[in-house]
Amino acid sequence: MTMYTKPLPDPTIETKPFWDYCKKHELRMQKCAQCGHIRFPPGIVCPKCHSMEAEWVKLSGKGKIFSFVIFHYVYNKAFKDDVPYASASIELDEGPRMMSNIIGCKLEDIKINMPVEVHFEDITGEFALPKFKPELKNRGKNLKPTAEV
Amino acid sequence: MESLKNKVAIVGVGYTPQGRIPGRTAMSFHVEAARNAIEDAGLKITDVDGMLTQPPGGDTRIAPWNIAQQLGLRLRFGSQQSAMGASAGCMVLHAAAALIYGLADYVVCTYGESPLGGGSGPGTYGGGRGDNAAFGFYGASGGYALAAQRGIYEFKTGPETWSEIAVAQRKWANLNPMAMMHDRTMTDEDYYNSRMIVEPFRQYDICQVSDSGRAFVMTTAERARDCRHRPVYVMGVGQDHPSTDIVQADFMTGPIGAKVSGEEAFRMAGVTLKDIDACEIYDCFTYTVELSMMGYGFFGPGEGKAFFANGRTAPGGELPVNTSGGLLSEAYQMGFTLLTEAAVQLQGRAGERQLGPVTRTKEPEIMLVSGNGGVLTTHSTVILRR
Ligand SMILES: [Zn+2]
Repeated sequence: MTMYTKPLPDPTIETKPFWDYCKKHELRMQKCAQCGHIRFPPGIVCPKCHSMEAEWVKLSGKGKIFSFVIFHYVYNKAFKDDVPYASASIELDEGPRMMSNIIGCKLEDIKINMPVEVHFEDITGEFALPKFKPELKNRGKNLKPTAEV
Repeated sequence: MESLKNKVAIVGVGYTPQGRIPGRTAMSFHVEAARNAIEDAGLKITDVDGMLTQPPGGDTRIAPWNIAQQLGLRLRFGSQQSAMGASAGCMVLHAAAALIYGLADYVVCTYGESPLGGGSGPGTYGGGRGDNAAFGFYGASGGYALAAQRGIYEFKTGPETWSEIAVAQRKWANLNPMAMMHDRTMTDEDYYNSRMIVEPFRQYDICQVSDSGRAFVMTTAERARDCRHRPVYVMGVGQDHPSTDIVQADFMTGPIGAKVSGEEAFRMAGVTLKDIDACEIYDCFTYTVELSMMGYGFFGPGEGKAFFANGRTAPGGELPVNTSGGLLSEAYQMGFTLLTEAAVQLQGRAGERQLGPVTRTKEPEIMLVSGNGGVLTTHSTVILRR
């Protein structure tokens, strides 16, 4: 594996479980034990009912693109070979939204509401990034998969 | 509760050099801007007993007590405040409260930074936001562009609307000798030819940062009558902070904090949109201007293109917006650029860009000022009159 030079996730005490599950290729978020609300980003209190009891539940890994941007400008030189690339807010089927990248399709094919599914990229021994690809059944004639990134 | 309408006024404005200015610290810009604002108001050093300071990039070393030491002030009232781009408007409210309750006689509000010269420390604006950096999601540009893309999807906004905003503001900057873009005109074609930064934003959708400072002084209406220039009275103030990161936000396409903070400010001021002669609208990005003005009710979703068309907000237009060039074309001192511009326009000392006969616009009596910060996370509204 070549040296990974991009910024790594920066886990806090609250977000560490999320990243630990990602390393195991599991997308898990906190589900409130009282009202069932699934929240993200992680925190100690449910924003809906203020219960402090929660369980890290496994999510389907499926969702759709809520919105996205395409970076042309290199803000960090570690991304200089990646531009242009897409960052997106993914709305998961279970409700919460998270930041990620869209991979496995041409940039011009990326559309809001496009169904996507998680694909974990092992970047270092410590971290795997949850990225998103067009859902397999939608990778048809309109969405030509490109080579693995 | 007792209204603060017309009880306090802005009485002085302080500028500094602005642009790429090496060899200066952010702190020095706070100090110089405060010094010039005190001088502008015609006050003695010993008059000033209150200070509110917005630390750039959350730099806690830049605080009222440190600035006051350099200016030889002793403070009865002081605080750091950061609601990011909404801070200047929030400070108006807090300064007003202190003045009305007699906790201070004269409050100076300061901003300054040096991101280009390096005096603010690295990464104030380009930095990744927490774990987002791992996904290459950088800067305020990334966040506002994310909202703008959703705006294109939901109500068909886009470059046809944003170019009108950018070009109109550049025309104002061309009339403002202090503006970083004073000598550079912008056509529609220039806008479309500017390079893509974070799609859907081109370079000319994005404000330019600067090394500079800005400050203003407030006092009670009673004391304001003895100051050097005509007082600019605070008619109404409002805040609304949606308080959600843009990735999870349900307000990417509005209504943003402009709506609720605007309703509050208008109610306090006892005026309506029709009474507003000109606006200074927070414009870190073109889309921010569109969303803010939608929030205030100037037009509905998707009506921005028609609203801004034919130079309505440019010199000679019926509703001037961002008359100094704003953050897009004058200089970036967060909400201070906009608030101070409204003050000097209402005082009638804006020179070549003065609203009224000079720019073939209505002489302003009442102006609206907005502030917006984080990524649509915070919002302030101030209504001022001469
Ligand atoms: Zn709950």
